[in-house]
Amino acid sequence: MEKSYKTKRKIITAIYHIFTFCFAMVMIYPLLWMVMSSFKDTNEIFRTAQNLFPSQFRLDNYVTGWKGFAGYGFDIFFKNSIIIAGLSTIGAVISSAIVAYGFARCEFKGKGFWFACMLLSMMLPFQVIMIPQYILFNRLGWVGSYLPLIVPQWFGQGFFIFLNLQFIKGIPKDLDEAAKIDGCSIYAIFIRIILPLIKPSLVTSAIFSFMWRWDDFLAALIYLSDPVKYPVSYALKMFSDPTAGSDWGAMFAMATLSLIPIFLIFLTMQKYLVEGIASTGIKG
Amino acid sequence: MKRKVMALSMAAVMAASLAGCGGGSSSNTTTAAPANDTTTAAQTTAAAQTETTAAQAASGEQVNLKICWWGNQIRNDVTKQAADLYMSLNPNVKIDIEFTDWSGYWDKLSAMAAGGNLPDIIQMDYSYLNQYQKSNQLADLTPYLEDGTIDHSKIPDSIIESGSVDGKCYALSLGSNAPVMIYDKAITDEAGVTIPEQPTIEELYDIGNTIYEKTGVKTYYDGGMNMMAIIARGNGSHIFDDIENNVVDNLTKHFTYVDQFNKAEAAISPDLLAEKNPDVVETKPIVDSTTWNDFSFSNQFVSVVKAAGRDLAMCMYPQAAEATSQPMYLKPSQFFSIAETSQNKDEAAKFLNWFTNDVDCNKILMGERGVPINTDVAEAIMGDLDEDSKLVFEYVTSVGEIATPIDAPDPAGKGEIEALGKTKVEDLRYGDGTAEDIAASFLAESNKILTEAAQ
Amino acid sequence: MSKPTTAPKRTLAQKLNREQVAGYIFVLPFIIGFLAFLALPMLMSFAFSFTRYNILESPTFIGFQNYIEMFTNDAKFVKSFGVTLYYALFSVPLRLIMALAVAMLLVKNSKLSGFYRAVYYLPSIIGSSVAVAILWKRMFASDGVVNALLQSIGIPCDIAWLGRQDTAIWTLIILAIWQFGSSMLIFLSGLKQIPVSLYESATVDGANGFQKFFKITLPMLTPTIFFNLINQLINGFMAFTQSYIITQGKPRDSTLFYTVYMYQSSFTYNKLGYGCALAWFMTLFVALLTLILFKTQNKWVYYEA
Repeated sequence: MEKSYKTKRKIITAIYHIFTFCFAMVMIYPLLWMVMSSFKDTNEIFRTAQNLFPSQFRLDNYVTGWKGFAGYGFDIFFKNSIIIAGLSTIGAVISSAIVAYGFARCEFKGKGFWFACMLLSMMLPFQVIMIPQYILFNRLGWVGSYLPLIVPQWFGQGFFIFLNLQFIKGIPKDLDEAAKIDGCSIYAIFIRIILPLIKPSLVTSAIFSFMWRWDDFLAALIYLSDPVKYPVSYALKMFSDPTAGSDWGAMFAMATLSLIPIFLIFLTMQKYLVEGIASTGIKG
Repeated sequence: MKRKVMALSMAAVMAASLAGCGGGSSSNTTTAAPANDTTTAAQTTAAAQTETTAAQAASGEQVNLKICWWGNQIRNDVTKQAADLYMSLNPNVKIDIEFTDWSGYWDKLSAMAAGGNLPDIIQMDYSYLNQYQKSNQLADLTPYLEDGTIDHSKIPDSIIESGSVDGKCYALSLGSNAPVMIYDKAITDEAGVTIPEQPTIEELYDIGNTIYEKTGVKTYYDGGMNMMAIIARGNGSHIFDDIENNVVDNLTKHFTYVDQFNKAEAAISPDLLAEKNPDVVETKPIVDSTTWNDFSFSNQFVSVVKAAGRDLAMCMYPQAAEATSQPMYLKPSQFFSIAETSQNKDEAAKFLNWFTNDVDCNKILMGERGVPINTDVAEAIMGDLDEDSKLVFEYVTSVGEIATPIDAPDPAGKGEIEALGKTKVEDLRYGDGTAEDIAASFLAESNKILTEAAQ
Repeated sequence: MSKPTTAPKRTLAQKLNREQVAGYIFVLPFIIGFLAFLALPMLMSFAFSFTRYNILESPTFIGFQNYIEMFTNDAKFVKSFGVTLYYALFSVPLRLIMALAVAMLLVKNSKLSGFYRAVYYLPSIIGSSVAVAILWKRMFASDGVVNALLQSIGIPCDIAWLGRQDTAIWTLIILAIWQFGSSMLIFLSGLKQIPVSLYESATVDGANGFQKFFKITLPMLTPTIFFNLINQLINGFMAFTQSYIITQGKPRDSTLFYTVYMYQSSFTYNKLGYGCALAWFMTLFVALLTLILFKTQNKWVYYEA
């Protein structure tokens, strides 16, 4: 009885892994195609697209791609992206957690209004406020610097506020009450009780924020002017020029490289995702 | 609005220069000749350089010039090198460069215009020229042309005029382009057909059928604005004049041709065409031999050949058999303009002069923006070009010999009309309406767009 | 319930500890940021929606003309709205189901779970760069992988997926489903927040897997589902890049997303005023949907007391 239960479990585990693994391979096939294409000659990419593997692995695309443009290499672009995405993420995660706590646990006048404003900020397409915002930042003298890209991130981002908010709502209020009786202020409760418990949503926010800032080129396009300040996402676009001709090979190569930092961030952070309330043993 | 063009003069000069070069490749003695020419030209400009440098050193004031363009890796690299060279020759000038991709460029430029801080020198496109000029964003270059700051003695008048609106020059062309049909000579040879230098559309149709019978390779017919313009021009009109004046004939003719090709078995199916997307060089159906031909502008030829990875040939855009006037024209590939808001217009004009007239500068640029407009410069760099670029130079020259004046810069609303045209052609290709219906509805809707945009 | 002690005079610390005050202090960063960077541009874009404005010249006031034009005389507005509605209707639920299913698959801790999580998240990492455009076109090309795959399982297939009006939109929907990673991560964190003790007591009571899923997992996950739903709904209606970089609305506007049309109007056709009117209509529409969802919240979303 005991033994057959064990075998049965083993079989189930094996099936689980086979299924999960195979499905995972289907999911990443397109990505694999892109990585493989980065080793192909540009015209091979389009003419023999059916073949996953290149006829021969070439690093040419990486060499020409890394050179960048007009003497500004991808080392500069990567450094810039790390600065922009890094500073934005720190600001967005901290400020969004703070704001979320206010919305989740405090009753105050005008809360509904500001909450609606927050949702509205998530719904408004950036393209239509682009021009007015440019005029605004231009008046502030910020155009040409990283300020328009980073500073707004430090005032809470709708998506992350909302995300943290939902997590805080999921934390039993008994915890707050107990802490209150022990003499904790609202601020102390936030720092000592809530923050450690919303680690998964903080980590999720950090991953998303870093990734989105890393991928965003529109803000860089509008606000930056000196190529020495360009981030990777923006530089990638410059391999393509429909009016003359594009170097897709180099673009695939650099696009592949640009995935690495985000992937590393994800790998280092994902282990914190599993540390939910469940593992800290607190029960509602 | 129509302008008189002296395409011939330019063509003559260029043809002369090309003859020299063509001979050069076959015999040893003549190879030296163009090389000598080059050195002389270089010396002349170098001398001119010294003069300007001296003049500026006297004034000694530090000037910052901001210059902005769109382009790919090659253009970014060579333009930066040219700017560096200029700075080393003119120590008092500091050039800040800014480059971006084509689609982002116009978003950025409109934001800059809205904020009132356009860069001093702006790379401009024919389809945006009118709009930026009409809203007073561009400086009038005519005074600089007149006082010689921008030397145009070696630039054909037609080129200057192509950047002019209402008789004043607002944009200096950086190179010439011509509409082109690209074809795969290996396939036409296999099918045993020869492509005339300037085929008629009827010939193209027959050739397409023959090729399909013999090789199974399909034919592509351009349903876009370029072909529309060619049809109108062949009838002595201009597409935007037609739209403005509610003339439907040329449009009906255009859509009838599109329909005729679409219904032919030899033509690429609309599904496949939408999938391939001929708007992107690397996915053009000719690249993977789905079709044997494609339509483009001459400056894309080198890229198409590179993408296809095999030799391709060029001929002129096909024209209607009953065309009464020559529809082919030369088009500025792109311009440099000076912003009206610029604080350093004089210095910017000097840079423009150097950029177009200096041989050393253009030896760096190597005609990347199209065939240089200064005929001496074009001749000087000819010898250093690769085979495909030479083909392009020769093609542009041969078009120059017969070209009629280009249509006036596109009016406001062109972007929307072009999009409308694409939709209408798709309607037709997917079998939703007759050519007459489509032409009529295109005319009505585009006329409305034009009227609204002019408000 | 949390009334402060009834001392007649409060110290500063006590004052700051009142929810009324503390709430504002916590939310202050958002309020400042909103007023400083968003409020004015939003008001301006709203004002632009009543003007004719080509960006290069100053706007001219034209009253409600943009809105009237939109509703009475713009086939593309109707078409693109329909396309977006269709896209959202399918992509949002399918993406959420996919995300939840995979999250359930990966919530189990095994030696490989870190690896699996990474692999399933990878497609979302590439986001919407230009590389995706080429990638996706190749996958669905008539000689591409998808057709090859269908042929290998015996379905003869040479469909030009991106060239047909009925299939092109589905390539974009599939792209949305493929990039389910962000919703999956949020589901994963949500799943981890469910106390293990609940499952333990259910096991003691003899509940099977299905019962546990429907009686514990799903109800406890409703705040996360709610969040993902709202968020994906907004994303679905505001989707832009997929259509913009892959299909440009082709063929025959069958993949023309609303935001792409809005963008084209604003910048390609130089009618920013009209673009703003389009934007505000969509924003109001999405806001209305969100409002309705929020109203239904207390019927199905379960928060800790």
